[in-house]
Amino acid sequence: MRFLREIKESFRIAFAAIRANKSRGTLTTLGIVIGILGVVTTMTAANGLTNSFKESVSALGSDVLYVSRTPWVITGNWFEFRNRPNLTMKEVDKLDRRLSRARAVNPTAHTDRSVKYRSTTLENVDIIGTTEQHILVSSSVPELGRFLTPFDVQYRRRVCVIGAAIRERLFDEADPLNNAMKIGRYTFRVVGVMEKQGSAGFFGGPDFDSQIYVPISSLVKSFGGSNRDLNIAVKAPAGESLADFEYEVIGEMRKIRKLTPVEKEDFSINKMDALVAMFNNVMGVVVVIGMVITGISLFVGGIGVTNIMFVSVTERTREIGIRKAIGAKRRAILAQFLFESSVICLLGGMVGLLLAYGSTALIDRLVMPASISIGIVVVALIVSVLVGLISGLIPALKAARLNPIEALRYE
Amino acid sequence: MTVEVRDIVKTYAMGEVEVPALKGVSFDILEKEYVAIMGPSGSGKSTMMNLLGCLDVPSSGTYRLDGHDVGELTEDRLAEIRNSKVGFVFQTFNLIPRSDVFHNVELPLIYGGVTRAKRKKLTEEAIERVGLTDRMRHKPNELSGGQRQRVAIARALVNRPSMILADEPTGNLDSATGDEIMSIFDHLNDQGNTILLVTHETSMAQHARRIIRLRDGMVESDELTAPRLAKEA
Repeated sequence: MRFLREIKESFRIAFAAIRANKSRGTLTTLGIVIGILGVVTTMTAANGLTNSFKESVSALGSDVLYVSRTPWVITGNWFEFRNRPNLTMKEVDKLDRRLSRARAVNPTAHTDRSVKYRSTTLENVDIIGTTEQHILVSSSVPELGRFLTPFDVQYRRRVCVIGAAIRERLFDEADPLNNAMKIGRYTFRVVGVMEKQGSAGFFGGPDFDSQIYVPISSLVKSFGGSNRDLNIAVKAPAGESLADFEYEVIGEMRKIRKLTPVEKEDFSINKMDALVAMFNNVMGVVVVIGMVITGISLFVGGIGVTNIMFVSVTERTREIGIRKAIGAKRRAILAQFLFESSVICLLGGMVGLLLAYGSTALIDRLVMPASISIGIVVVALIVSVLVGLISGLIPALKAARLNPIEALRYE
Repeated sequence: MTVEVRDIVKTYAMGEVEVPALKGVSFDILEKEYVAIMGPSGSGKSTMMNLLGCLDVPSSGTYRLDGHDVGELTEDRLAEIRNSKVGFVFQTFNLIPRSDVFHNVELPLIYGGVTRAKRKKLTEEAIERVGLTDRMRHKPNELSGGQRQRVAIARALVNRPSMILADEPTGNLDSATGDEIMSIFDHLNDQGNTILLVTHETSMAQHARRIIRLRDGMVESDELTAPRLAKEA
């Protein structure tokens, strides 16, 4: 109880002291303000990046494997992958037959074409040739109309399902359904519009809203290349771990390709995990760099606080003497000055947080979706109090160790 | 016995040289006594006051305050003793400038760990005893010198200490105000408080019932000027 009362007194003194030296305190906290602004903005930006990355890969599905010619992330010798054979429709059919347990085996091919509706033209649009099974392996569904059907694929119909962004840019207010549009030189009929995915293409990654889906057979018929390189999405059986299923897929692919046990695979299995792992590595480095920089600014801010606390202790030497004479113990004096420095830093941290709300709003509006989470707020406040405690420690110890007689004599 | 001083020696190290400030001082002070300690500058008067106030410990000899051997206590234990047994009144008042009268007087109780309700009662009582009830919420710089010293006296009283230690309490006051302050001390002694007055002014020392004169770190004389205890008069 006695300790609690001392703490309350310390709080009271700290606030009185800060109130008495407003402009000095404001200048001192500037370093802390900037430091906390940095910490919060770094963490918010990192969160924002992570979220928009996750959003853009979530469409890939976490229970889906992708069989491709090369890995998505090529590390090491690129030439190793250069001469691998393309995946063909024949191999897709074989794999489909062999993986009877898979929930979906879906090939995709893609090409870039310009598309046109009336007088509006869009260049280099991502045209995805796929099958009706695409919606089984991706998380997106049509918002208007329908997706591709087995008949579209079987009869090589020139129909297409467009992304939300394509609809906006090409059709504006007009109803796209059943309208004819040009893909390259060919006329396709719009049968559906996909719902908005929201991720505006994560740093060069696919922008799902700006894609157009056509039957893979129509794509080959219209734009040629029966040996066009394919990607095969394989959705694991329900309840089976992706890692186990991966071995089965590799095994079947090896059989299809007739590889002997000593031969290396001439195809790659891609998973969302690999992308996530790579992203996490990159993000980790970015965050560490950000934290080092803000750490330096907090350190500099902390030195400023230490400095001002030394001034404060010296100015109040006599007061310390009085307090000691009437019975303040060392820990009471120590607490008094530690409180003062941590309250200064806490106030700085709060101002930094307020500024960070502004910078986050700016990022949110201009760059990517971002928001400050409660966790970040708590971390920022804890960090500012810690900086206060650490930077106030030496001056507070000096105050606590003052000899009362000399302190009372101090003019 | 409130104060028991035996063969106290205090030396200060000034660089290489050891400077003796007290060279073996002994005396006792009884409960409810009113004692003036006098002496010219350099007599060891200030050193004696620091030791009696438990702000410092002797180099050798023993000092017992209310039975506690002060020489053997840690710094924090000394702080506790100062808090509960000694009430200081300084020449320069030594109030906390940013705090009002109430909080200044309350401070020893806070450091003593007294509950809020009890603090309020004791603080108001002490302020009333020095007649400043209507100045409770004023800051020290809004008060006259005499009023400030009365605040300091209230602060010294509030913990009901074993003794009040006043170091030149009238040194910064004009003589009329000084007399006023001295009459408060006289009154407090009449009520049974032990008072130790450190001064070099004979007129102030005359208020006490006993005068201990120091010279060159030794007791030069120790005489009663009135019956030793107020109630004997």
